[in-house]
Amino acid sequence: MSIMEYNGGSVIAMVGKNCVAVASDLRLGNQALTVATNFEKVFPITDRIYLGMSGLATDVTTLRETFRYRVNMYTIKEERDIEPEAFAHLVSSTLYERRFGPFFIEPVIAGLSKTSSGAFRPYIAGADLIGCLNFAKDFVVAGTASEKMFGVAEGLWEPDLEPEDLFETISQTLLNSVDRDAYSGWGAIVHVITPEQVITRTLKARMD
Amino acid sequence: MVAVPDMDSLVNPQQRQFNPYTENGGTILAIAGADFTVIAGDTRQSEGYSIQTRYAPKVFRLTDKAVLAVNGFAADGNMFVKKVKQRLEWYRHAHAKDMPLRAIARLIQTMLYARRFFPFYVYNILGGIEDDGTGAVYSFDPVGSYERETCRAAGAAQSLVQPFLDNQIYFKNQLAAPGMSHPTHLPLPDVLSIVIDSFTSATERHIEVGDGLEMYVVLAKGRGLGGMEAIGGVQELSERTEGERLFVVRRELKKD
Amino acid sequence: MDHFPTNWGRPRNDAYDSYGTYPIPHRPYNGPKDAFGEGVQRTQQPIVTGTSVLAIKYKDGIMMAADNLASYGSLARFKDVQRLTAVGEFTVIGASGDMSDFQYIQSMLDDKMVEEFTSQDGHALGPAEIHEYLSFIMYGRRTKMDPLWNSFLVGGFKEGQRFLAYVDLLGTTYSASAMATGYGAHIALPLLRTAVEGKENLLTEEQAQKILEECMKVLFYRDARSLNKYQIATITAAGPSISESRELATSWSFAEGIRGYGAQTQ
Repeated sequence: MSIMEYNGGSVIAMVGKNCVAVASDLRLGNQALTVATNFEKVFPITDRIYLGMSGLATDVTTLRETFRYRVNMYTIKEERDIEPEAFAHLVSSTLYERRFGPFFIEPVIAGLSKTSSGAFRPYIAGADLIGCLNFAKDFVVAGTASEKMFGVAEGLWEPDLEPEDLFETISQTLLNSVDRDAYSGWGAIVHVITPEQVITRTLKARMD
Repeated sequence: MVAVPDMDSLVNPQQRQFNPYTENGGTILAIAGADFTVIAGDTRQSEGYSIQTRYAPKVFRLTDKAVLAVNGFAADGNMFVKKVKQRLEWYRHAHAKDMPLRAIARLIQTMLYARRFFPFYVYNILGGIEDDGTGAVYSFDPVGSYERETCRAAGAAQSLVQPFLDNQIYFKNQLAAPGMSHPTHLPLPDVLSIVIDSFTSATERHIEVGDGLEMYVVLAKGRGLGGMEAIGGVQELSERTEGERLFVVRRELKKD
Repeated sequence: MDHFPTNWGRPRNDAYDSYGTYPIPHRPYNGPKDAFGEGVQRTQQPIVTGTSVLAIKYKDGIMMAADNLASYGSLARFKDVQRLTAVGEFTVIGASGDMSDFQYIQSMLDDKMVEEFTSQDGHALGPAEIHEYLSFIMYGRRTKMDPLWNSFLVGGFKEGQRFLAYVDLLGTTYSASAMATGYGAHIALPLLRTAVEGKENLLTEEQAQKILEECMKVLFYRDARSLNKYQIATITAAGPSISESRELATSWSFAEGIRGYGAQTQ
């Protein structure tokens, strides 16, 4: 059995018009046995950046702390918040440090980056477990339901979705995907990041 | 370092088994309406990373009211369709009528289970019109377990398409507007657009899906064309217009 | 596809015979024996093998090409073997894979043609029927777990209709306007497709021949189990015709400029 499927779980991020959304399921499993249904896999990094991680739960927890430490160090040294682009490369190089004994997680990064004019531009990125970055224009997926999310997102997503429509699109994509995945589900959490605020909603889902 | 075979593997007889199966990619899909059924499949046939041909049909007319889609190992699939067609012809000679859909479904189960210990490596989806005039889809596993459903995807992109269908056909995870309820069956034009969207999505994200799309449409007796007129590139396959009517709609898919 | 015919239908095993020095060396064996083990011979391996066959549709019919080599492992064993054969008045078959299995199939097809002829029913087997028959034989043998280790292209022309299709040791069949077996499916097929697709009704015999010759040349440069001696078959309204063996004009002057290719001093 693959380590990547040991605990189960799925994460997804999508681009909208002047906003991004990132979501995960809430299941923590021990192979087929569900042991917790409140295991969030998406964490705030700054006010405008969220990081989702799917894969081995112990590595999710470890890396969450690693990134908190490294982002804090960056903030102190630079005396400013990290931008999504820089954070994506921080994630990438942190993972590549362990190239031959990797952390078993696939990260998903979603944020708004500040342009020179002071406006915000949506930014998402994904990576594999050794940090090969994927800068997608539409959506990125990771986890045990990734194939399903690719299929549903490819059918539901469209460009320039407003925050509420983006919320609906990412929620429907995640929910319908995890309902067909034995290793994901049992509730979900969605964060929609706009320049003004971050809207976080917990979704009820099938519990079977 | 060159890998040197150990003496044991040279002295003892080599047990290298011939593998009688391969996987030829592609995806199939069927959706039942109230009085029609759509059965679709892409036309790419591949082995590994090689595209063998861009046009190898996976969906076959059995009768004017029954269509069979096969996916998996192409040689087994073609042979299986051939044998089903043969059994249906024998039935026609014995009973002077076409076999009813639910009987074809049971026949397919029997034929698949007959090869329980050397299975046809094929996922079957049977679609058509039941004797009571309703649209029906039957889906099978390679050894004959089967079930009547409203919609089913199978093959290489099953995992991409099926959850999309759950959402768009069964309205899973969607609440109806207050005081309203979801329709149990969708109209034909909606179903055809969902099928086309499913295949374009699967083509985009799965390398074994693409090239062409064939959608067979079976209409119940006396239903009228309702919704077919607006669609381009339709070819009628049924000879009589009194009974169930059978059409095929072809579309191009991306070839990369 | 795996180029080495001995690996066809088998799981990969890099630890064993990594140089492809088939056939498998047989050593004396004194361990416990299954007394009935030899009673049933199931799987085999290809011994003397032919490499790629190429075929395309063109204006007047089908054109097919195959070289004249039958290899014994990596040894170029027989250099004057015909891998294209006419069957009846309308069909040519091109064979790759095991040559003895091919010869067995040839004799089987001969018997079938004689049988059909003697029935004098006014019907002659065309390429579609021969391909169907061949696919039944191949699929039947794979189902018995005793395959005939070949990939065939069947080309033909009958009643104004071109026919071109494939069948292999698993019974897999398909049809297209440009086809290739073995290594050719990787190296030559992309070239054939760009040259042929959409132009099936325009290509003249000369153009078709030039395309195939070019592809045979590319294959000879890159396929270590190929030969610069090959034949071309055409199947048109006039029936099948298989050319005499011809040589490929190849040039190796480019090797001089590449370090490690030609003779050089560092």
